[in-house]
Amino acid sequence: MEGLEGYRGVARGLLERYGVEVGDVIEVNTGTRKIVGTLVPRYIYDDEFHIVLKLPNGYNIGLDARKILSLKLVKKGEQPAFKVPEPPRTREDLPRVAVISTGGTIASRVDYRTGAVHPAISAKELYALVPELSSIARIDPEVFMSIYSENVEPDHWSRLAKRVEEAVNEGYDGIVITHGTDTMGYTAAALSFALEGIPVPVVIVGAQRSSDRPSSDAALNLIAAVDFASKANLSGVYVAMHYGKSDDIIAFHLGTRVRKNHTSSRDAFKSIGTAPAALWQEGNVSLMLNFLPTRKEVGRFVSKPKFDGSVSLLKFYPNMQENFLRAVLGCGIKAVVVEGSGLGHINSRNIKHLTEFINKGGFVFMASQCIWGRVNMNVYETGRDLLNSGVVPLATMISETAYVKAMWALANSSSREEVIDLMRRNIAHEYLERTLE
Amino acid sequence: MSTPRAEEIGLRVGLEVHQQLSTGRKLFCSCPVVKTEEFPFTVKRKLRPSQSELGHIDPAAVFEFLKGKFNIYMWNKESSCLVELDEEPPHNPDIEAIEAAILIALALNSEVVDEIHVMRKIVIDGSNTSGFQRTAIIALGGYLEFSGRRIGVQAVTLEEDAARVLGEDEKARYFALDRLGIPLVEISLDPVTASPKEIEEIALALGRTLRSTGKVARGLGTIRQDLNISVSGGAVVEVKGVQKLELISKVVEYEMKRQSGLNIIAAKLREKGIKEIEVKYKEVQPELFSFLPDILKKDVDGKHLVGCIVAKKIAGFIGYEPYSGIRLGKELAEVARANSIGGIIHSDEFQKLGLDINSERKLRVALEADEDDALILFVCERERSEKITNALIERLKYSIVGVPPETRGPTAEGETRYMRPRPGAERMYPETDIPEIVITREIIDSISRKVPVPWAETVKTVSSKYNIKEDTALRLFDEGKIELFSEIVESTGLPGPYVASVIVDTVAWALREGAEESRITDSLLRETLSMLSASRITKEAVPEILLKVGKGEASSPEQAADLLGIRPMPEEEVEKVVERIVRERINLITERGDKAFSALMGEVMKETRGRAKGENVALILKKKIEEISRG
Ligand SMILES: [Zn+2]
Repeated sequence: MEGLEGYRGVARGLLERYGVEVGDVIEVNTGTRKIVGTLVPRYIYDDEFHIVLKLPNGYNIGLDARKILSLKLVKKGEQPAFKVPEPPRTREDLPRVAVISTGGTIASRVDYRTGAVHPAISAKELYALVPELSSIARIDPEVFMSIYSENVEPDHWSRLAKRVEEAVNEGYDGIVITHGTDTMGYTAAALSFALEGIPVPVVIVGAQRSSDRPSSDAALNLIAAVDFASKANLSGVYVAMHYGKSDDIIAFHLGTRVRKNHTSSRDAFKSIGTAPAALWQEGNVSLMLNFLPTRKEVGRFVSKPKFDGSVSLLKFYPNMQENFLRAVLGCGIKAVVVEGSGLGHINSRNIKHLTEFINKGGFVFMASQCIWGRVNMNVYETGRDLLNSGVVPLATMISETAYVKAMWALANSSSREEVIDLMRRNIAHEYLERTLE
Repeated sequence: MSTPRAEEIGLRVGLEVHQQLSTGRKLFCSCPVVKTEEFPFTVKRKLRPSQSELGHIDPAAVFEFLKGKFNIYMWNKESSCLVELDEEPPHNPDIEAIEAAILIALALNSEVVDEIHVMRKIVIDGSNTSGFQRTAIIALGGYLEFSGRRIGVQAVTLEEDAARVLGEDEKARYFALDRLGIPLVEISLDPVTASPKEIEEIALALGRTLRSTGKVARGLGTIRQDLNISVSGGAVVEVKGVQKLELISKVVEYEMKRQSGLNIIAAKLREKGIKEIEVKYKEVQPELFSFLPDILKKDVDGKHLVGCIVAKKIAGFIGYEPYSGIRLGKELAEVARANSIGGIIHSDEFQKLGLDINSERKLRVALEADEDDALILFVCERERSEKITNALIERLKYSIVGVPPETRGPTAEGETRYMRPRPGAERMYPETDIPEIVITREIIDSISRKVPVPWAETVKTVSSKYNIKEDTALRLFDEGKIELFSEIVESTGLPGPYVASVIVDTVAWALREGAEESRITDSLLRETLSMLSASRITKEAVPEILLKVGKGEASSPEQAADLLGIRPMPEEEVEKVVERIVRERINLITERGDKAFSALMGEVMKETRGRAKGENVALILKKKIEEISRG
C-alpha cells in the first residue's frame, strides 16, 4: 500500500501538501482536538472532502479536510510482512486436485492495518486458511483469470474448457473451479457441453458470503468440492453450493440443470426439475440420481471448447413490441432462445417476425420462463403456429442452458440439420425424460 | 484483612455502558424489536476463527475450531429477517438511530465525527451470525458532569446488539436472533480512581443522562455495563455484562480484593526467592486411584484420566487467602470450569477433604513430588487433557506476576468469574456493504436544538417549582414520569407532593397488589386524577381505581368507579353511617372519650370504602363524639 489511493481534490491536496501517504501514522489538528491515526485508502467513488483515519482502537473515522488546521507525520508506514505459517504436511498418497480460480475470492485474508482484503493465492495460503484441505487432497491452485462473473463470455468458457482438458491429461483426479456466483450456472452448462465425456469430476464452486468474513460459506463449499472431486466415483460437471441455510449439507447440482434463484442466500442454487445429483455431509457423498456417469479410464481426453457468440436469450413479455423483436432478430445473430410464456408461447402478432427470421436461416428455440416444467407447443393454437413456423421446442431444458447450448451447437455443427439435431440430443442431462417436479 | 482502599492500591476503573435505543427497529434492517420465546426456525453455522488474519494465524486455534461446536441460531419471522441470518447484506443504517446517537453524543459534550464509517469488529463466539459486530464511532471526547467533577468520555459508538445466548451443550451453543441488530450506543469513559460506590454513582449519572434524551430503551437487559478494572502493577481486567446497577460497587469491591490479593500472593512468592513457577505434568495411573480424595474418584471412568500438575516449592500458596475468598485455588478452578471441566483439587485442601497422610505420601512418591510442592489434580476426557493442562499451567505461572489480563463475568452476588483471556487488539475492518455517512454542520445544528437540559437541573427545577423533595423529583425522573407529573399538576391544580406520591408510591403499591405494569398507563393516571380534581371521586378512591384498572377488571377509571360503587357519598349518608357506628360503639366513647376517635374513624372509613372524604368524616365524627361526651 502506498501513495494516496482513492484520494482526489481537496483531501488529496491537503495530504500532498504535508507529504503523507496511505499507511502513515499522522496527527491531525482539527482546531478542537488532535487525533492520531493511520491514514487509510478511500474508495474511489467517495467524496473528495474527507480523509479517513484508522484510530488506534481499530475504528475508522472520516475528517473533513476543509476543517483541518494542520497535519503532522508521526511515523512512516511500514509494509506489513505477512508470514504464511507452515501448512500442515500433505500425504503423498492423497488424490491430486487442480483448483482453478476464475475470479472472486474463495479464501482471503484481511490487512487490519488498512482494511484491505487480499485473496489467498498459493496452495500454501489456501492450506493455511482452510487446513482441512491438506488431509483431503494434494491441491495445485492456479489463478486462471481474475474477473467478475458477470463479465464472463463464451471465449472464457472456451479457454477454461481447454485448461480443464489439459488438467485431465496431466492426470488430476478431479478439477475444482472457483467462480463468482452470478453466472456460475451458465459456465457450468457451457463446460457440461464442452467437456462431454470427461472422465473425472469437474466441480464449480463459489460463495454467497464473501470469504473475508468468519461466517463465509466459501470454506465449506470448497472443502466439499475438493473432497468430491478427489474421491466421488462420478464424472461430469457439477456445481457445489450450500443445500440449505446451515453449514452442514453441500448440494452437487448437474451443470445443465442448476440455476441461481436468490440474490444473496447461501442456498441460492437449486436443481431445476430434479433432485441435486448428490449431497455431501462431513465427507460422505450420497447420490440422489441413478443415471450419473462414473469415472472412466481414457487414454487422452479431447474437449469441444468452441462457442459461437451470435445467439440471444429473449424473454417474452406482454406487449412485446414488434419493432423491438425485429431489431433483436436483425442485429446479426444466428439463433435466438425464446423464454416463452407458459408452455412456450409469444403473442400472435410477433409470430410472423420469428417466421421471417427462420426463413432467412436463423434458429428459434423455445424454452419457458416458468422455470419449472416442460415446454409443450401442441396444446394451444399459438404453440402450433410457432411449431409450423419452424420454432424448435426444448422440452425440459432450462433457458440459460438452452442459450449456452445453442452457442455450442452452432460452433460444433456444419449444417442446419446438425445444429437442430445437436440441440435435440440429450448430451449432459439437459433433457429430463420424466418430469417429477 | 479488610477490603483495601481505592487510592492505596491504585484502583482505576473505566466504565463502558451499552444502552439499547428506543427506536423500536433494528439498526441494519427493518425488523421490529419484538421479544417472544417462540422460535420455530433454526439454522446451524460454524465460524472460522483465523481465516481473516493470515499474518497471525494460529493453526492450533484452527484445529481446535475444527473439533469445535456448531452455533445454532433460533429465530422467528416476527423479529428477524435474512439480514440477521447473515443471508442478506445489511441495509443502510436507520437514520433515527444515528440521530439518537448524535443527540446522546451532544448531551455528553462529545465531538461528532465528520463522516461515520461502519466497521466490522471480529467476534467469533457465535453471538453474531456474521462473525463480526457492526459498529461505528459517532463522536470523540466529551465529559460527564458528576458531583462537580468532569469524567472524560473517550468515544460514543453506535453498534448492533448481539444475539441472545440461550444455552450450550457438548455439541452446540444456542442463540436467539431476536436481539441481534437492535441499535446500541456505547459510551466509554476515561478510567478513574474512585470508591466502588462512586463508580456505581457515575454509572447511574451516565444512565440518567442517557435517559434524559428520551431516546433509550428501559427495562432489564436494555443497559449493560462493562468495567475495565486495574490496580497498580496489574493488568486490566475486563468484567463484561453487568446488567444491574447495584452490582457495580460489589463487582468493583470484589475485584479490588481479588486483584490486590493476587498481587500479595505474587509478592510473597517472590519473597520466598521464587523467580519462576516450575511445573511438570503427570498423569495419575489407575493403580493410584485408591489414594485419591473421594471427591475425584467418582468421576473417573474409561474415557477420563486424572491429570496432575506438580508445582515446585509452592505448597501452601494454592490455598492461601490474603482476603477471605481470594486464593489461587479458586482462580485455577475457574480456569478449569471455563474449559468445561468440573474444577480442580489441590494439595493444600487434602486435609480438609479427609485424605489421610499415608495416601498423600503415596501420591507424592508416585508423582515425584516433594513435601513443599503443590499438587493440582483434575479429571477430564483424554483428548482434552492437553488443552486443559496448558490453560492451568499458564494461569499457575502467572501467579508470580500478579493479575493476569482476563475477561471475567459477574455473578449474581457481585463476584466475578473467569471467562476467557483478554483478546488482543480489536480486529476491525470496514463494512464494505455500507457507504460512509457524511454528517454536516446542518445535521448537527438541528440535533443540537434537541439536547436536553442536564437531568440534575431538571430535577432541581421541578422540585422547587412544584414544592416536592429533590429525592421525589429524582424518582419521577428515573421512572420517566417528570413530564407526566408536571402536566397533571398544571392541568388539575392538585398539589405537587400529592400527585408525585400517586405516580410513585400508589402505582408501586398497585403493582405489588397485582396490577400489571402495562395497564397502568399515563392516561389512566391523568384521567383518574382529573376525576379527583373535579370532585367526582375521593382521594381515598384513587388507589382502588388504579388497582381495579391495573388488574384488568375495569377498562377505564369511570367504569372502575362505577363497579367499585365509590362515587362520593352524599353528606347525609355519611352522617347516617357515622351516627350508626357512634351508636353501636357508645360504650367505647363513654369509656375513652376523645381517644376513641381514631378507632371509630377507621371503622367509618372502612364502611364507606373510599366514597367519603376523610376530612369530612373526621369533622362529622368529631362533632358526634363531642355531643356524646358532653352528654
Ligand atoms: Zn431483520
